[in-house]
Amino acid sequence: MHIRHLSLTNFRNYGRLELDLPLGPILLHGDNAQGKTNLLEAIYYLATTRSPHADQDAQLINWIAAQSEEPIVVCRLVADVAAAAEKRQIEMRLIQEVNLSGRNGGRTFRREALVNRRKVRLMDLLGKLQVVQFLPEDMQLVTGPPGNRRRYMDITLCQIDPIYCRQLSQYNKILEQRNALLRRLAEGRGKRDVLPIFTEKLIKLGSEIFRRRAMFLANLARETHRIHYEELTEGKETVRLGYLPRLQENGGRRADELIALEQLGEWLQSHVDDADAVQARFEQALAAALPTDMVRCTTSVGPHRDDWRFWINGRNLASYGSRGQQRSAILALKLAEIHWMTKISNETPVLLLDEVVAELDEHRRALLLTYIKELHQALLTATDPGMFTKDFLRQATTMAVENGRVIPDKI
Amino acid sequence: MATNVLPRPVQRLIDEFARLPGIGPKSAARLTFYLLRAADDQAFDLSDALRELKERTRFCSVCFNITEEDPCLVCEDLGRDRTLLCVVEEPLDVVAIERSRAYHGLYHVLHGAISPVEGVGPEDLRIAELVERVQKGNFKEIILATNPTLEGESTALYLQRRLAGLNIRLTRLARGLPVGGDLEYTDEITLGRALEGRQEFKE
Ligand SMILES: Nc1ncnc2c1ncn2[C@@H]1O[C@H](COP(=O)(O)OP(=O)(O)OP(=O)(O)O)[C@@H](O)[C@H]1O
Ligand SMILES: [Mg+2]
Ligand SMILES: [Zn+2]
Repeated sequence: MHIRHLSLTNFRNYGRLELDLPLGPILLHGDNAQGKTNLLEAIYYLATTRSPHADQDAQLINWIAAQSEEPIVVCRLVADVAAAAEKRQIEMRLIQEVNLSGRNGGRTFRREALVNRRKVRLMDLLGKLQVVQFLPEDMQLVTGPPGNRRRYMDITLCQIDPIYCRQLSQYNKILEQRNALLRRLAEGRGKRDVLPIFTEKLIKLGSEIFRRRAMFLANLARETHRIHYEELTEGKETVRLGYLPRLQENGGRRADELIALEQLGEWLQSHVDDADAVQARFEQALAAALPTDMVRCTTSVGPHRDDWRFWINGRNLASYGSRGQQRSAILALKLAEIHWMTKISNETPVLLLDEVVAELDEHRRALLLTYIKELHQALLTATDPGMFTKDFLRQATTMAVENGRVIPDKI
Repeated sequence: MATNVLPRPVQRLIDEFARLPGIGPKSAARLTFYLLRAADDQAFDLSDALRELKERTRFCSVCFNITEEDPCLVCEDLGRDRTLLCVVEEPLDVVAIERSRAYHGLYHVLHGAISPVEGVGPEDLRIAELVERVQKGNFKEIILATNPTLEGESTALYLQRRLAGLNIRLTRLARGLPVGGDLEYTDEITLGRALEGRQEFKE
């Protein structure tokens, strides 16, 4: 799929942008702080309803507009998307209203999503524009905290699988209810016979999430391994993704725990079609954890504590891998993600590459560029277009980004 | 410091309005000044209505719907099917079901749904009263008509456990397609539920 037209109002440093986007690779170049990253962020936000950079969505509203005296400020993102079978328009609105009564600091913030000009739930926007994003920060997937890796799984899966997305959101609500109930019980309020109700729902939804993640990671692992082995290291190194489902309480020596969780991950991957077995296992784990959970007033097992990990030649990539090895693994993962999305949805995703090309050596850069040629559309940024080969620049559309304006280069 | 130039009764009414849900200080002031300028009758009618609301209504001691007489008109109506009971979250749900004219049994109003996050447990709802009423009564079927939200579903599940073993048919409202809806534009969850709740096709 590809974006035919992008329109931004009051988004970051774009007061107003109307931009036609062609097929093929698009190179956005320009000095620092001109709006290259912001443009990719807008596209990613439309696809996922999340920003990779802002801690709060209100930060996305153009600050001059946000600080104006206007009673209502709307930041609007609209994309005309051409998918294989249909054309669609998707839109997000971030709305800031000043309420004079002065509650909440006098400002309220809300979001709206539209598909073909009809309001939908935010969740229903996911999948309407599919993207794969690759940022320098993605190295954090190897070394960062588990939350990063869960978020990556969730955002990627939600773009492809609306049922997963729905189940995940219900799971989180039930989890919140169950934890609140555990707190009430600890305080001597509430009734114990309500607990099974929330526990059973948690088991149903949670085991679906376990199964879908196990399937996803198995698919992604296979392709990541292939690309890494065949195309990046000429058969010298093997990379493996290990799922670490939180189907067992945290405890014991870290190394032993990792082995146990890894085994559970393998067990899950061989039982992805056996919903009953997964449910029974999750039920067992919850029951075993209940005494400590009652004391801590929280649910210590379940997909909300999942993790996964890279292994390089049988060792933990985060602790033993060199920077170069980590970079290759992430590149292989991203290329595998493109492959997986294309296979499942019969659509090629739009690829968003912010700066990463500059960080790759020649061999890896060349590989990435061959993948880009297979896609309908890819947006790349660089401060210096000189790092691209003449051949690539001939095929790409280049555009200059200057202070919140985008000017296609003359050919 | 600025002196408050509003006479005390005006400020008092503004403050009272502002305590209501969904009404901010601005709307509270607007309503107050509207009433100040309106004919005396309108303001007195409102104040009578408020007084009557509290003095003349109570909860029905059988079904816990709001009522003027206890037991309420529905509970007293001998023309209704007394073997059929419909359990709902709120009094407004009774109004909605009555409007459908498709139901002729009795009601039981829970006054909420189980939600630990909001501090609502079964003990805060009219559930014990429901169980007792069902044990004593002659019901053949109980329709668990709580909302199709997570809280409503959990409440229905909880009621099902509490009422199981009484040998009474328990049913849940079918969650179907909206009338005038188009299959193509129905989201997969609604469609999935409509499929689960499908029924024999009879003439
Ligand atoms: N909410 C906002 N409103 C207005 N301007 C903003 C807002 N948020 C960020 N900016 C501005 O946007 C600019 C940053 O743009 P961006 O990150 O896209 O730059 P870039 O072109 O990617 O630069 P670099 O090459 O350094 O990565 C900064 O000048 C910043 O001040
Ligand atoms: Mg940038
Ligand atoms: Zn009654």
